[in-house]
Amino acid sequence: MGTLSLKGVTKKYGTVTAVDDITLDVPDGEFFVILGPSGAGKTTTLKSIAGLVDIDAGSVHINGVDMTLVEPYHRNVAMAFESYALYPQKTVRENLASPLKSGRVGTYDSAQQQQRIDVVTKTLGINHLLDRLPRELSNGQRQRTALGRVLVRPADIYLLDEPLSHLDAKLRAAMRAELKSIAQKSSTTTVYVTHDYQEALALGDRIAVLRAGRFVQIGTPTEMWRRPVDTFVARAIGQPEMNLIDAHVEGDRIVMTGSGVTFPAPDDMGLVEGEKLRLGMRPNELHVVPAGTPAPYGWVAASGHVLLAERLGRDVEVDVEVGSDSLIAVVNGDHAPAEGASVDVLIHLPNLHVFAGGEPGQDTPRLGSVLGRNRGAALPEAANEEALS
Amino acid sequence: MAKELMPGQKRITPQGIVADLMLLIWFVFSLFPIVWMFMLAMKTPAEQTTTYFQFSPTLDNFATVVSDKGTLLTSVDFKSAIVQSVINCAGAVLVSLLVGIPAAYAAGRWKFKGSDDLMFNMLSFRFAPELMVIVPLFVIYNATGLFGTTLGMIWVLQLVTMPLVVWILRSYFEDLPEDLEQAALLDGYTRTKAFVMVALPMVRPGIAASALLSFIFAWNNYVFPLILTDTGSVTVAITKFLGGGGQAYYNLTAAAAIIGALPPLILALTIQRYLVQGLSLGAVKG
Repeated sequence: MGTLSLKGVTKKYGTVTAVDDITLDVPDGEFFVILGPSGAGKTTTLKSIAGLVDIDAGSVHINGVDMTLVEPYHRNVAMAFESYALYPQKTVRENLASPLKSGRVGTYDSAQQQQRIDVVTKTLGINHLLDRLPRELSNGQRQRTALGRVLVRPADIYLLDEPLSHLDAKLRAAMRAELKSIAQKSSTTTVYVTHDYQEALALGDRIAVLRAGRFVQIGTPTEMWRRPVDTFVARAIGQPEMNLIDAHVEGDRIVMTGSGVTFPAPDDMGLVEGEKLRLGMRPNELHVVPAGTPAPYGWVAASGHVLLAERLGRDVEVDVEVGSDSLIAVVNGDHAPAEGASVDVLIHLPNLHVFAGGEPGQDTPRLGSVLGRNRGAALPEAANEEALS
Repeated sequence: MAKELMPGQKRITPQGIVADLMLLIWFVFSLFPIVWMFMLAMKTPAEQTTTYFQFSPTLDNFATVVSDKGTLLTSVDFKSAIVQSVINCAGAVLVSLLVGIPAAYAAGRWKFKGSDDLMFNMLSFRFAPELMVIVPLFVIYNATGLFGTTLGMIWVLQLVTMPLVVWILRSYFEDLPEDLEQAALLDGYTRTKAFVMVALPMVRPGIAASALLSFIFAWNNYVFPLILTDTGSVTVAITKFLGGGGQAYYNLTAAAAIIGALPPLILALTIQRYLVQGLSLGAVKG
């Protein structure tokens, strides 16, 4: 049980600011995910909470108590390191028993220790490895042992640094579900660091996207998906990445610069004539239909032809050239267009994100979406499929 | 078409033969003094200055060197010199490890103001010729009564052993992933406990290497025991067989040198298995 609160936490390494003025409140029992690319300061943030790095400014409060100057072993937090950090000369069992034996996280006789270790290792599927040394384990097994050393003990806060990154895809999905249920059962406040947006969306009660040591946006998974605060967050969440194409304002319409496709500009966005914009479209919210299919009301159609169609499994990733723009769409494999085919790309206006214009590589804020205000009709799935077959 | 080779087989080429020959010449050249020393050690006094390989081998020289009465003209108690050297050098290494391991850990883990200067200062003890400091040391040792004492020798040998221990171990500690000690801290152990429980076992090869190396350097040191003690040391004792102006006993000198090389050799063989131990043993991902 524990609340966590960071106030203006800053950590510099020489001239590099790894964590820059981070403020954060995590209520008791929340599963909080920090999502960010490598080098964004995720691990430094965790280590600041744990007291493993001396922060240059700000304060760390756990359960309302200022812990900024408190030694790590008095903070009652547990951390799974991305590097595993297993004691090499100790077996899996001894590694897991280590926090229980220190005497600072409660007193356990050997039967109680054994019982706790049994429960955790069974959950993590490493109970047959108890007498092995870390060097005799695969990376995935080491990672689960590192996770086990956290889960085996009670703590105010669990800090998990990419705890699933070295598992194979199947195991990762299983462990993700397992972690979620453990978190719900134990309701221990958890700060979880990852660069995998799917993990973030699946696990997080709330997600914070970290860039260059600063939080760009904090919100629920739905908020992050539907209303990314800027192009950085928009691209960080979702795979393939959100399409971003240049556009500008002409009269009362927004024009896609590369293709000349236009649609009415929303009047509540304060757009001015000639203003440069970027439009964001998620690949799995685009529909690809044969050229000439009439677009329903509330939808925009852009004509082009298919450059590339890659089967990903059930779905097919289609690269459509629209004017001088290229749009990636993920469509149902049963109705995927052939390479070279002339197609229309349809997008429902409420799914069209409008960002401020900017140089390539520069992240710009989101201005809003072209809300259909429920006037637009959903594209009838059946009609779509019929048209393609 | 060249002949197919079996695994492990090597193609014989003229370049390869030339390279092998040159290596062989180098091998003979570099080992020759040692061979000559062994031969010399088994020659009789009459044969000791001959330069041919034929002689009647004897082990008498070894017996003479270690005999209780010292030897012939020179009155060297070689046995007790060796014992004294072992005590001095082992003592010096132990003190260096005791002080040097925490120092190396601190230097490897934390950068503080002047830490690099401190380390360089320590290293400069190795640069400085011993002869530069020997006169003031002699005066100080005489004045303080440290002259000729075991404590005095152990102390002065720190100039030899401490820089080695600190510098070798610092790089070991620097290479040690910090995560392990941090994990121990979060497991509820103090920094001291984390150091003893996690860091120390992992630098065992470093401790073995630095202990061995500093022991050898201390063992081979000549100037400090020559000037600062009269209770003997192996290096000084060996040279006494050269006679100091009287007759030189090359055969005895060689025998003494061989015996004098044994303690470092025994130490090296004893701790060899720690030297080759892998460093992180799969503790953190590679």
